[in-house]
Amino acid sequence: MSSPAIQVRSRIPRLAEDAFQKARLSVVPRRRTRTSRMPFIALVSMVLLGGVVGLLLFNTSMQQASFASTALEEQANTLAARQQSLEMDLDRLRDPQRIAGAAQRLGMVQAGAPAFITLGSGKVTGVPTPAVAAPFRINALPPAKPAALNPAPHVVLVDPPPTKSDHHKSGQGSGKNNQNNQNNTDDTASGNQGRGHGDGKKNQ
Amino acid sequence: MRPTQPPRGTRRGSPQLRLRVGFLVIAMALSLFGARLVQLQGLDPNSYAAMAAAEGMVNVELPAERGDILDRNGKPLADSVDGLMVVADPAMTAEKAPELAKFLYKRLHVDYVSTLAKLRAQDSRFEYIARRVPATKATEVVAAAGRLGFEGLDTRRDPVRDYPAGDVGANLVGFLGTDEPLAGLERTFNGQLSGKDGSSRYEVGGGNRIPLGENTVTKPVDGQDLKTTIDLDLQWYAQRALRQAVEDSRADSGFAVVMDSRTGELLAIADDPTYDANDPTASPKADLGSRALQDVYEPGSVEKVLTISSLMDLGLVTPKTEIVVPPELDREDRPIHDWFAHGTIHLTLAGVIAKSSNIGTVLAADHFKQGQLHDYLSQFGLGKTTDIGVRGETQGLLPARASWTHQMQDRIAFGQSVSVNGVQMATAVNTIANGGVRVSPSLIEGSATTDDGQQVGTDHTTRTRVVSEDAATKMAHMMERVVDPEAGVAPAAAIPGYRVAGKTGTAQAVGAACGCYDGTFDVSFAGFAPADDPRFTVYVVIKNPRNGGGGGSTAGPVFAKIMSYALSRYGIPPTGTAPSRLPVEW
Repeated sequence: MSSPAIQVRSRIPRLAEDAFQKARLSVVPRRRTRTSRMPFIALVSMVLLGGVVGLLLFNTSMQQASFASTALEEQANTLAARQQSLEMDLDRLRDPQRIAGAAQRLGMVQAGAPAFITLGSGKVTGVPTPAVAAPFRINALPPAKPAALNPAPHVVLVDPPPTKSDHHKSGQGSGKNNQNNQNNTDDTASGNQGRGHGDGKKNQ
Repeated sequence: MRPTQPPRGTRRGSPQLRLRVGFLVIAMALSLFGARLVQLQGLDPNSYAAMAAAEGMVNVELPAERGDILDRNGKPLADSVDGLMVVADPAMTAEKAPELAKFLYKRLHVDYVSTLAKLRAQDSRFEYIARRVPATKATEVVAAAGRLGFEGLDTRRDPVRDYPAGDVGANLVGFLGTDEPLAGLERTFNGQLSGKDGSSRYEVGGGNRIPLGENTVTKPVDGQDLKTTIDLDLQWYAQRALRQAVEDSRADSGFAVVMDSRTGELLAIADDPTYDANDPTASPKADLGSRALQDVYEPGSVEKVLTISSLMDLGLVTPKTEIVVPPELDREDRPIHDWFAHGTIHLTLAGVIAKSSNIGTVLAADHFKQGQLHDYLSQFGLGKTTDIGVRGETQGLLPARASWTHQMQDRIAFGQSVSVNGVQMATAVNTIANGGVRVSPSLIEGSATTDDGQQVGTDHTTRTRVVSEDAATKMAHMMERVVDPEAGVAPAAAIPGYRVAGKTGTAQAVGAACGCYDGTFDVSFAGFAPADDPRFTVYVVIKNPRNGGGGGSTAGPVFAKIMSYALSRYGIPPTGTAPSRLPVEW
C-alpha cells in the first residue's frame, strides 16, 4: 500500500514539500477482521454447562446433607431417649424407699444415737447407743379387711371334762353372740387383727 | 447469489401469509393461557394455593420440656422424661385399621374402639394415638409395626412427667393430668415450669426435609426448674415414721413438719394418708392435698408455749413463779379441768409446762391485760397464712381483738378456741427455737411466682422479733422439762445424748358434721433440738388416734425418730452441756 506514496514523492519537487506533507493524509480503508466465533461460544457453553452441573452438584450435596441430618437427628434422638430412660432408672434406683427395702433385706437396722469425737481435744460428746432392731415399717399395712371377710376367731372355752360335741355346736350356732362377748364385733377391732396378721408376716 | 437457488417464497408461500398464520397460532395459544389464568387466579385461587401448600408440607407442634421440681440437693421430686407421642396418618392407616388397632391395643394399651375411629378418620393426615409414651418404647412399637407391614405410624416429641420417688412429697408436689397440672406445686408454679411450646413447618420429600423448601421453626422455650427446700431423704423418713404411727394408733390422719430453726426452710412436710403421684386417681380425693397446710384444727397444749413465753416477755412471770393449782377451776361459763386428776398441787411455772396443766396456764394468763395475748399470738403468725406457695392454705382462726372475752382468753391460753394450720404452728414454736425471732417459713429455694402473682421463696424471708431472747431461752429451758423421765409427760420424745425441748398437745377436735367437739382428739408434739442451740424444729400432729394415747406417747416417739434422723443426717453433734434442772414443784 505504501508504493503509490513513494512514486508520488519522486515525482514531486522539493518545493512542494509542504503540500506533499499535507497530501500524505489519505483515507485508510476499513479493516475488516473476521475473528473466529468459536472461543466465545465455547466460553458461554462452558459457563452454562458449568453452572448447570455445579447447581446440580450443589443441590445433590444439599440433599445428601439433608439425608445425613435426618439420620443424625434420629440417632441423636435415640441416644437422648436412651440417656433419659437410663436417668429414669437411676432415679428409681436412688429412691430412698428402694434403698431402705434393700437394706432391710440385708438385715440392716436404724442406727442409734451417735457420739462425736472432737479431734483436737479427743473429747467425746453424746451418748453412743447401740442400734436396736426396732421395727421400722417402710411399706403401708394392707388395708383392714371388713369384718365379714375377717371374722373374729371363735374362742371356745372347754371345761376340763370335755363334752366336745355340745360346745362345738353352741360355738357354731351362736357365733354372733360369741363375738359380742369378746367385744370384737366392730370394724376397728377386727381390722386390728388383720393388721396384726400383716405385721407378723413382715417380721418373718 | 447463485443462480441454482430458487427464488425465495416460491416453496414457502408468501412471507405475509406465513406471518399471519404464525400470529394466529400464537394468539390461540396465548388465549388458552389467559383462560387458564382466569380459571386459576380469578375463580377459586385459595383452594389451589392450599392444595399446593398441603403437598408435602409438614406442620408439627414442638412441645416445650417441663421444668423439674427438685429437692434441696437437686434430686428430682418430679422430672420430665423424653417421651414420644405416637401419631397416625389416617390416609395411610385406614386400609389396615382393624389389624393395626389391635396391634396398638396390645402394645400400647390404648382403647381399641377410639383408636380404630382415629385410624379411619376422614380428611385427616394427623391423629394422636398415644401420648406420653417413654421414647424407647414408642420407637420400638413403631418399628415393630413397620416390620409387620403397617404404614402411617410416626412419633413426635412429647415429654413424660415422672415422679421417681412415688409418694414422697406427693402432697406438696401435686401431679399432672393429660394436658394440664391439676394439683400442688405443679399447678401453683405452672407458669414457670411449663415453658412455651414451639412449632415447626417444613416441606418433606421421601421422609427428608427439602433443603430449599419452606422451613419455619419457632423454637420451644423449655420450662425452668423449681427448687424446693425439701430434703428428699428426710421427707421419706418422716413420711414412713409418721405412717407407722398413724397405722399403729389407728388414727384418721397425721402430718409432720420439719423446719430449719435458723432459716425457716421447710425440710419436710409429711402427710398421711398420702398418694402415689404416678397414679393419683388410685387414691381418694381427700388425700391429694397437704393436710399440714389445708386442715384447720385447734393446737391444744402446744399453744401454752406461746402463752407462757409472751408472759415472760412482758416480765410478768418467771420459770420459778409458784402457782397453786386447784383440782378444778371455776370460771365464768364452765369449770376448767386438767388432763390428769389431782388434788391441790404446788407447781412452778416450769412444772405447769412439764405437766401440761391447763389450770396453771389459765392462772398465769390472768396477768395479761386485755388484748395483749391477741397481739402476741398475731405476731407469732397465728390467723395469717404462711404464704409458702402451697395452694388452698387455711389461715386458721384467731378471734378478732374486739370480740376477745375473758372466757375466750382462758381457753385460748391453753390452745382451744383458736385454730391453726400445721406449718403456722411449727413456725410459731420455731420462734422460741430461734431466740424469740419469728423467721417466716419457706418451701421454695430462691424466688418463684405463684399463679396468683405472689412472690414466694427463701429470698422473701422476713424476721420479726416477737419475744426477747431471754424469754425464749427461759421457755426452752422449761420445755426441756417436758421430756424429762421424772418431771415431764413425754419421756418418749427424748433423744439419748441430746438436749431436747418440746411440748405435748392433746386437743379436743371439732367434728365437721356438728361443728362442735365430737369427742375425738388431735394429739401433737412440737419441739426442737439441741435445746441450747436449736437446729431443727419438728412438729407432729396425729388426728383422732384410737389407741387412747396422748401427745407424749403417740406423737412423741415420731418426733424423736424424725429429730434423731435429722440430727445424724446433718451431723449435728450434741452441745454437751448439762440439761435444764428447773424445779417443777415447790
